[in-house]
Amino acid sequence: MGTNNALNGVWVFGDYRNYFQNRVTLQLIAKGKELAEKRNTKVTALLLGEQVQQYAMEYVAHGADVVIAAEHPDLKEYQVEAYCALVAQWVEAFQPEVFLAGATSFGREFFPRLAKRLGTGLSADCVALEVDPKTGLLLQTTPAFGGELLAEVVTPNHRPQMATVHPGVFQERPHNPEAVGRILYPDFNVLPQSRVRLIRSRRQQIRKVNLEEAPVVIVGGRGLGSKAQFERLFELAQLLEGEVGATRPVIRAGWAEEDRLLGQTGKSVKPKLLISIGTSGALQYTTGIQGAEIIIAINRDPHAPIFRMADLGLAGDASAILPLLLEALRKRI
Amino acid sequence: MIKFTESKISAHHNYLVNDLLTPGFVVGDPNSSDAFYFWADLVLPGESTPHISARIMDEKGDLLLELNGSQMGENPGKCDYHPLQGGFKIFRRPNEPLLEVLTQNFPRGHMTRIKARLFDEKGDLRVEPLGESIQVHGEAKLVLDAPFTPSAR
Repeated sequence: MGTNNALNGVWVFGDYRNYFQNRVTLQLIAKGKELAEKRNTKVTALLLGEQVQQYAMEYVAHGADVVIAAEHPDLKEYQVEAYCALVAQWVEAFQPEVFLAGATSFGREFFPRLAKRLGTGLSADCVALEVDPKTGLLLQTTPAFGGELLAEVVTPNHRPQMATVHPGVFQERPHNPEAVGRILYPDFNVLPQSRVRLIRSRRQQIRKVNLEEAPVVIVGGRGLGSKAQFERLFELAQLLEGEVGATRPVIRAGWAEEDRLLGQTGKSVKPKLLISIGTSGALQYTTGIQGAEIIIAINRDPHAPIFRMADLGLAGDASAILPLLLEALRKRI
Repeated sequence: MIKFTESKISAHHNYLVNDLLTPGFVVGDPNSSDAFYFWADLVLPGESTPHISARIMDEKGDLLLELNGSQMGENPGKCDYHPLQGGFKIFRRPNEPLLEVLTQNFPRGHMTRIKARLFDEKGDLRVEPLGESIQVHGEAKLVLDAPFTPSAR
């Protein structure tokens, strides 16, 4: 049935853990479909695990033309060596042009290993992907030099062209229940040997943070001065029915959990309104907020780079402005 | 060289057969007036229950029952039909299940698992259990692209 010539197009690695919260695979399938259409080829999603049927159906509903599904009880839990060995075999068999994964903790471990094994390059934490109309190569835009500038990377000599992309950078396609795709099941009886033996895994209990879907995001930076000031952002977020995000210095200071991190090494958001308070506007942070429709910035330094991308800027001390803002909102809401 | 088994997959509903997802399948010949067949038809968006039609025989090739759109038809084998949450189960005799059809509802989409041990008019085994699904034998079309229409019934 069918031919395999469509399998050398764009591949997306299916990271289905926390499926209904983590949408990055669906976002990459949507972008992969767009890239594949420009290259006149197809988008293929890879699934490894046990009982992954519903994810295969979801990927097809969101635009995957083909799903490669490897089901085995020993693949239920992620094991990097086995996953790498299996996926490398399939890549070598089908020679995809492009291979994408989410820049999640999973993708950040798995994809560099896979790229090394395949002898190709990897652009990590990309914030944009396009096809060069002249060469057909994948243009991979990624922060470089500590986030001080954005580099456009191409991989002219090696395949696949591999990239990881932040959750929230691209938008998923609507769920289409009428979609139909191909599904391929690779034959394998014995899993590749792994030097790591999984004894048990346990899901970390964390407070649910849904920054990517929030219509309003309040971001606090180190300029807030203290954890107590940062905590006030939660009241502001509650009044505006939004979520609270943070910059890397705030995470380092222990004022917020890692899953609130925005920017190059964290999440990318696309809210209708983003209020950035006490943030200077370093590139490694602003790459995560480029999709915001309206940005209001509050910073005591009138020359802070954040004002260059803000629609409205307030140059002043956040500790003085924040109480006034909260009071005004409490009266109005 | 890596070997792959290929099937089609619907975003809305699939059956699990031979450990593969498929939108629909047919075993045997539904066009015949007296031969064995098992026909699991496409379930289209807006529907969530599978459409199973079949003519099932026993080990000797004698007719046990006919199913039309998951409803009992001719039933010379005096089989019992039991509706279940998400499907149905047919018993040949008490404590002797003949066929079980159960649909699992995902947040978006559905998957139907079938358990059965079915014989054709020659007494040959055509469907048998395989893990959580079934293995089919003999003439079969394992992937339906559109709702199946028998040419002469």
